[in-house]
Amino acid sequence: MNQIVLIVVLPLLAAFLVPIVARMSASLGAALGPLVMGVCLWITGTVAIESAGNAFAINIGGFMPPLGITFFVDRLALLFAFLTALLVLVLWPFQGEHRPREHALTLILAAASGGLALSGDLFNIYVFYELVSVASFGLVATGRRSSAPAIRYLILSGFGSVLALVGIALVYTQTGTLNLAHLSQLAPTHLINPIGLAAFALILLGVGVKAELFPVNTWVPEVYATAPNRVSALLAGLVSKLAALVILRLLVLVFAQEQALLVMLLLGLLGVITGELAAWRAQDMNRMLAYSSIGQLGMVFVAFSIPGETGVFAGLAIALHHLVVKPALFLLAARWGGALSGLAGAAGGNLPAALLFTLFALSLVGVPPLPGFWAKLLLVMGLAEQVGPLYHFALAGILIATVVEANYLFRIVSTLFHRDSPASPAPQKHSGGDIATAGLFGASLIAAVLLLIPLSQSLKTIAQQTADAAAYRAVVTLAPTTSTLGDTQ
Amino acid sequence: MTPLDYLLLLSLLTVVIALVAGHRSMGGVWLTFTYAAQLGGLMLMAGLTNQPDVITSSLSFTILGQSLTWRYDALSWYFALITISAGLLSTMYTAGDWGEKFRADGGNLWLLHVAIALNVLSMLILLGSGDLLTLFIGWELVSWASFLLMILAGGPSIQAAIRYITYAMGGAMAILAGLALIYGHTDSFTYPAAANILHSLSTAHLWAPLLLLTLGFGVKMALLPLHLWQAAAYAHTPGPGAAFLGAISSRMGLYALIVVLIQLVGLVRVIELPVLFSFISARDVLAWVAAFTIIFPTFTALRQNDARMLLAWHGIGQGGYMLLGLVMGDALGSAGGLMHVFNHATYQAALFFSVAAVVYRTGTADLNRLGGLVARMPLSFLAMLVGIIGLAGLPPMNGFVSKWLVYRSLMLEGEPLLFVAAVVGTLGTILSVYKLIHNMFLGQLRVEHENIREAPWSMTAPMLILSVVVFVTGLMPGLVLQWIAGIQATVGLPVIDYSLGGLDSAQGSLDMLWVVGVLFAGFGIGAVLFYSGGRTHRVHQLDNYAGGHFLSADIRYHYSDNFYPGLMRLIGPLYRYSFAWLESAVQSGLGLLSLSTQGFYRRVAPANYALVTAVLVLLWVML
Repeated sequence: MNQIVLIVVLPLLAAFLVPIVARMSASLGAALGPLVMGVCLWITGTVAIESAGNAFAINIGGFMPPLGITFFVDRLALLFAFLTALLVLVLWPFQGEHRPREHALTLILAAASGGLALSGDLFNIYVFYELVSVASFGLVATGRRSSAPAIRYLILSGFGSVLALVGIALVYTQTGTLNLAHLSQLAPTHLINPIGLAAFALILLGVGVKAELFPVNTWVPEVYATAPNRVSALLAGLVSKLAALVILRLLVLVFAQEQALLVMLLLGLLGVITGELAAWRAQDMNRMLAYSSIGQLGMVFVAFSIPGETGVFAGLAIALHHLVVKPALFLLAARWGGALSGLAGAAGGNLPAALLFTLFALSLVGVPPLPGFWAKLLLVMGLAEQVGPLYHFALAGILIATVVEANYLFRIVSTLFHRDSPASPAPQKHSGGDIATAGLFGASLIAAVLLLIPLSQSLKTIAQQTADAAAYRAVVTLAPTTSTLGDTQ
Repeated sequence: MTPLDYLLLLSLLTVVIALVAGHRSMGGVWLTFTYAAQLGGLMLMAGLTNQPDVITSSLSFTILGQSLTWRYDALSWYFALITISAGLLSTMYTAGDWGEKFRADGGNLWLLHVAIALNVLSMLILLGSGDLLTLFIGWELVSWASFLLMILAGGPSIQAAIRYITYAMGGAMAILAGLALIYGHTDSFTYPAAANILHSLSTAHLWAPLLLLTLGFGVKMALLPLHLWQAAAYAHTPGPGAAFLGAISSRMGLYALIVVLIQLVGLVRVIELPVLFSFISARDVLAWVAAFTIIFPTFTALRQNDARMLLAWHGIGQGGYMLLGLVMGDALGSAGGLMHVFNHATYQAALFFSVAAVVYRTGTADLNRLGGLVARMPLSFLAMLVGIIGLAGLPPMNGFVSKWLVYRSLMLEGEPLLFVAAVVGTLGTILSVYKLIHNMFLGQLRVEHENIREAPWSMTAPMLILSVVVFVTGLMPGLVLQWIAGIQATVGLPVIDYSLGGLDSAQGSLDMLWVVGVLFAGFGIGAVLFYSGGRTHRVHQLDNYAGGHFLSADIRYHYSDNFYPGLMRLIGPLYRYSFAWLESAVQSGLGLLSLSTQGFYRRVAPANYALVTAVLVLLWVML
């Protein structure tokens, strides 16, 4: 089961090899990346089957925790490792201009994302997080119009990293360790205090930059509007979820205190409200999707701020739903740029794209029986069970935001199907690849409706395992398996 | 397999047939038969109306720890009867020449068939909901199916449909919030658990879920002040679609309100529930909302110059009578409210069919561009005549009986002010339906309409069937009241003591057989006098003479615009359009907020926010 480490090592290795191989043989260079991601997918699959849902830890280099580098592999980590490989493969930049560079950056992003999903200590998380940042700057900057937004992203992200680092330093001064399991042991005595809370707030703001957390998300609209749509899809679909995953792990294991939840709840709610409101008046589709993405991530944070397994369950459901829907929407938006009014009658040119858009919009709004409804229902049920007035306030905010969301999404849907529009230049046709990929996402959404009951049960199991901090500690400290693989960092 | 399973499967089959064959020329005919089959399936469950019983579906899920179940009782059966009949007649209307013309004009007939079939299916699912979660799911399905039906015509309907779906989503979210509050107390969505907790909640705590649910379900009923969306959304739906929506769609709100107010909370509790810091009760609030819902939309209808808009505004007002009767809570009032659902569906569909027939022949529903069609389209005129008598609530049509029951109940319950409000509403109805029939069928025929013929039988047949129903159930209200009595017994209301001709009880008696007999005896005497009077001379409709002059066809003497100027001089200043103003104010406010949030995201120096937030959080931690 130690081969799971390969999902970090292989893409990194391939990333450095791609430019060299591409020089020798262009086709081999182009094939290397997808091939490696396929292998990662296969590795994750076999490990998932072998482990049969039991969590295990890997101590790289054979150093026992809390000294060595620990990978923690449970259902959640495997799920996200799997989704990383899958999403990177599906959104692979097959038609890029700067192929080898883009491929290398995408591979680095995949490796770092896998690392984020698996890491069991704060230092590694920080390293992989920085690696994600570097890769995503590069990818964002490949867009023709995106240099200014990329710099904005760079500044904000760099500032976030500093905040996170300060937070991590605070944790270290308090406890003398960065291993999550060890921290989890020490937290009740060392971190449930104002300093711990300050550390959490700093890490939250730092990591929140990628997770589109209010108010450090101001890079989102411009970057998503100007970056290549496949990159926007990756950032909104995958990277933001991994950052949220990191915050979830920290919240469950280390900072399980009321005020921490409160901060998350407030910032999440503000994200929902500002995101959906800004999307209401957005003038083009990419920005609208970006604002809506901020709103959805805000809902994830609100969900995670519900204590216990309920919150994890609801948050994961919303995050996974968004992970399926938003990349597909960004792909559909690829040829639907420009002012929204210019899209009148776009369905006439491309009916499948318009129908897919409608399906995703319905699911985003939460129309039963589509998955978006069940995710939102989980959140509503979770918030309703809480007693604090703030939770009920958040519930009201989210429901009102949903109305706004329905309004703007269906204004666009009706524009798409608006038949008797004045003779305007018809929007470009979508590339076959974009439509096929979006169709794939749509099919998985429909499949999720049909498999709703088993899916919800397995997600519940994942949430149970994730919310159980004691089990995490037990796995890391009691079952050290050694590995002879060196870390490639 | 239970009868309910058969019914739902038949309805699903209808959707499938609509999907597969909706674009064929015979598709409409096949669909008509499948709706008839659904009606047959419903008749298998007719036993529900006699005893308080339920038929459950074998379809059920357990998901997220909640079980979803579906079942029918007398209440569901009654609403389902109206739903399927409306679907049947609308499809029958669409199946023939109307559909051909719709298609020729560039309409999507396939989508219309699919949308109506989906509406019927989703309503049948909603009516079968066996717990709060299925109620919400069914509610959402109905909302979105209606949205499809409203938007499919394009053009001006798009704006109206978007407005509708925004209101509908607002309502749905209010419902979800209400359900969440109930769920927060019980961890369950089942009716018994909800009823238990609602009974035990204190006054202050009961208000929140009650208000949220009533607001949410009230959106679909277009209760004031949430009514602005309805008229345009219904009126711009293609003819038979408008008839279907006008007949039943907004009554789904009433169904859900009955479930919540009467079955879960209990009307006794609503009557007792005081509004904080005042002397009125929740029942009074509901009754007055219903009364205003009668008055304002009815008088708005009076000012409409489009026949479809006029009817759609009346649809809102008539919904007020239903709620008003229902919240009175006695045997007569609730029977009147419930019976009005059936009655309104029958005459409203007939009226919409008649207007659609005129639109089919003349191409317009503008009340200033019609007139004198009575001799050209006599059957459509007859349907409209029957329909407006029903709508105005005059004998011998069924609308009279239900309104009489409501009036009687208002008097017995000691609510003279509400009674006056209801009568004022009826006055507005009579005035505006006269305007409707006068401007369309009476008065001067326009030259361009000289060669117009009656609509084809595929269109006249549904309206005549409905006219017969309107008359027969007016003559023998007992036919409908037996179902009503079944509902009252099922949901726990006092049961009305009915007879075939009306009712015969201590609270009052009404025998429509006698009323209609006397009325027709009067008509008979009049007819005898008229026809025995001597020679009659037939002239062409355009050959007129008045005031010492020949009126040739090019002289317009058909006064249609600015109808009732004297009345409008009196009440005209009262039209303030405050609700529309309120709506646009909310919209502008939202726009302002939206712009300022965008301003936030567009700031040039983004790191400042991070810095400020970090400092603020640290300050909060330290203090």
